[in-house]
Amino acid sequence: MEYLTAVLAPQLLHGLVFGAALGLLALGLTVIFGLLGVMNFAHGELYMLGAYVGLAVIGLTGSFWLALLLAPLAVALLGALTEVATLRPLYRRPPLYGLILTFGLALVFREGVRQVWGGDMRRILPPITGSTPLLGMTYPTYRLFLLAVSCALLLLLWLFFTRTRAGILVRAAVQDAEMLDGLGVNVPRLFTLAFAGSAALAALAGLLLAPVFTVYPQMGVEMILLAFMVVILGGMGSLGGSVVAAFVIGIAQSLLTLWLNPQRVAIAIFGLMILVLIVRPRGFFGREGVLE
Amino acid sequence: MRRLLALSTVVLVVVGWAGPPADAQQKVVRIGDLGSKVGVFEGYGKYQTMAMQLAVEELNARGGVLGHRIEMISEDDDTKPAPAVRKAEKLILQDGVKMLVGAVSSGATMAVMDVTKKHRVIHWNSVSCAEFMRTTKFHKYYFSNQPDSRMQANGLAKYIVDRMGKRVYIFYTDYAMGQSDARQFKTALERLGGEVVGVAGAPLDTKDFSPWFGAINQANPDVLFLAFAGTDSLRLMTQLHSFGMTKKFKLAGIDCFLLQQDLPAIAEPMEGFVQLAHFSPYNPDPNMQAFNNRFKKRFGVDANIMAGAYDAVMFWAAAVEKAKTFDADRLVPVLEGMCLDNTHIGRQCIRKEDHQVVMDMHLYQVKGGKNIPIAKVDGLQAIGEPMVGKDPLEGFTWEIKRK
Repeated sequence: MEYLTAVLAPQLLHGLVFGAALGLLALGLTVIFGLLGVMNFAHGELYMLGAYVGLAVIGLTGSFWLALLLAPLAVALLGALTEVATLRPLYRRPPLYGLILTFGLALVFREGVRQVWGGDMRRILPPITGSTPLLGMTYPTYRLFLLAVSCALLLLLWLFFTRTRAGILVRAAVQDAEMLDGLGVNVPRLFTLAFAGSAALAALAGLLLAPVFTVYPQMGVEMILLAFMVVILGGMGSLGGSVVAAFVIGIAQSLLTLWLNPQRVAIAIFGLMILVLIVRPRGFFGREGVLE
Repeated sequence: MRRLLALSTVVLVVVGWAGPPADAQQKVVRIGDLGSKVGVFEGYGKYQTMAMQLAVEELNARGGVLGHRIEMISEDDDTKPAPAVRKAEKLILQDGVKMLVGAVSSGATMAVMDVTKKHRVIHWNSVSCAEFMRTTKFHKYYFSNQPDSRMQANGLAKYIVDRMGKRVYIFYTDYAMGQSDARQFKTALERLGGEVVGVAGAPLDTKDFSPWFGAINQANPDVLFLAFAGTDSLRLMTQLHSFGMTKKFKLAGIDCFLLQQDLPAIAEPMEGFVQLAHFSPYNPDPNMQAFNNRFKKRFGVDANIMAGAYDAVMFWAAAVEKAKTFDADRLVPVLEGMCLDNTHIGRQCIRKEDHQVVMDMHLYQVKGGKNIPIAKVDGLQAIGEPMVGKDPLEGFTWEIKRK
């Protein structure tokens, strides 16, 4: 019983907290892949920009909550401008063009941030401090808040994609954008809004995780690898798959650290991904033919 | 005659105006200050600069060294070996420093040792803890007045086994300093009858330590021994505290775990933490208080363990005055065996064989954000045998020996 409360329960909670935040980041990546057929290499930098814009807003206003509102909006605007100015002309080109472009954008954003804020690590203090006694253990209150907010957002996103017209249109565009165009939907505008939404999600994840992981220009690069794994494991383009895979990776990573040094766990997670892909190349819920 | 007089006057005026001021006529000798000025170890690097600056100002006020005014040049090494090597080369070849203090990170210091050996420059280390500098990496121009891993382990392990608990988990920063501290501490603890119930390393500059906490909780030790430094220690302690682990386990750590200046901000997580160090402004020792008063008067803040960098400059200056030269080859024999009295930790003597300074240390316990002395550690007992060119822990294994 003591083992359960002192060892297993905190590890499971770690996994859930990290998985939920990872899910937010990966969901945006999945939507963009589903819509544009391109893995957005700049997604990690949008996550990083969320933290830096948040840092600037907190610096000006002193309010984390205001930053949580403004940073995703600002990054969404940047995302929309980027999509219109750079990605839109490439839609009819082979996916490699988009891949190279987003890779370049990642470099531009990262180095831009380095020019403005410098390369040093910055701290964002958690807006909620202290710890909460929970099931016989002590857990940082902010991390519990992080879990609650991420889960609530994932639920809202599920409702958005299943219950709203806009969400259904995005899913329809993921399935067949040309058909949607033929039906009179303004698909380019849909793409722009979806890209902006995905950028906002990444920025939100960046700012929410900033008090835990701190803020530095490379922070996106470290997270995006895991986010890619989530997308591949969940099934390329599958929204539900991404959420499931994010939790699987979060919990697996957390439990494995009980027996392996966390540095080696990253290798084990890659091993897990390879294993899943051998058995099921399309991932958990992937569409047939995407990776087969 | 009038023309001659006028010409002489003109010449005198021109020479008088063009001549340098009396102060600038004094010859200059340069010394280098190399270390982390930003990033994970910036606290140590900045205080190293201040301590050296105090020494330089005091020496210059007394007329400099060997008739030369001392000029200090500071460089940031980015806490990494490669930039440290480049900056050391720059300090030696471009600026012509005659003595170099640095670096802060053990990995960077070891890399710089190759440079100081190649260019035959006196090299002082006043903060890096790894044991390899005075053993496998040792060269004759290298000196250290920082108690290394072996000295610290010998001083700490006995107190931990006797007073805190026998079952210990070792958590260390996974690079030269932490590895060295963990190796030495594991060896010393097991020799004294303690049991190491788990060992784990986290990379330098880890942002989130919580992935390691499960294994620590699983091992359920009496004492959690921490070999971290700088902002890593700050983050680690904040996170341990938020997970309730600072109350669950007794905590102990190495000399450079946190500077006194960092303690008030995390006084609550650090309460009761046992740390071995050679300086605390809250130590009533008259030597320490005397140094702290001078430091505080100059910079407006308390001194910390970087006081060693002040002594490094003083050792070098005393040797230069005695040898009447800046030549490193002629300074080395003078430095070997040299002692300085009334330093912040009393008498410091350079051991001839491995150039490690024999110095006493104290065990401190954090109470209300202050490092309060609880025991004194005799430097001679802690230093161990000289082991130049040898691995001090040959046959060492990370294996956990279950009891």
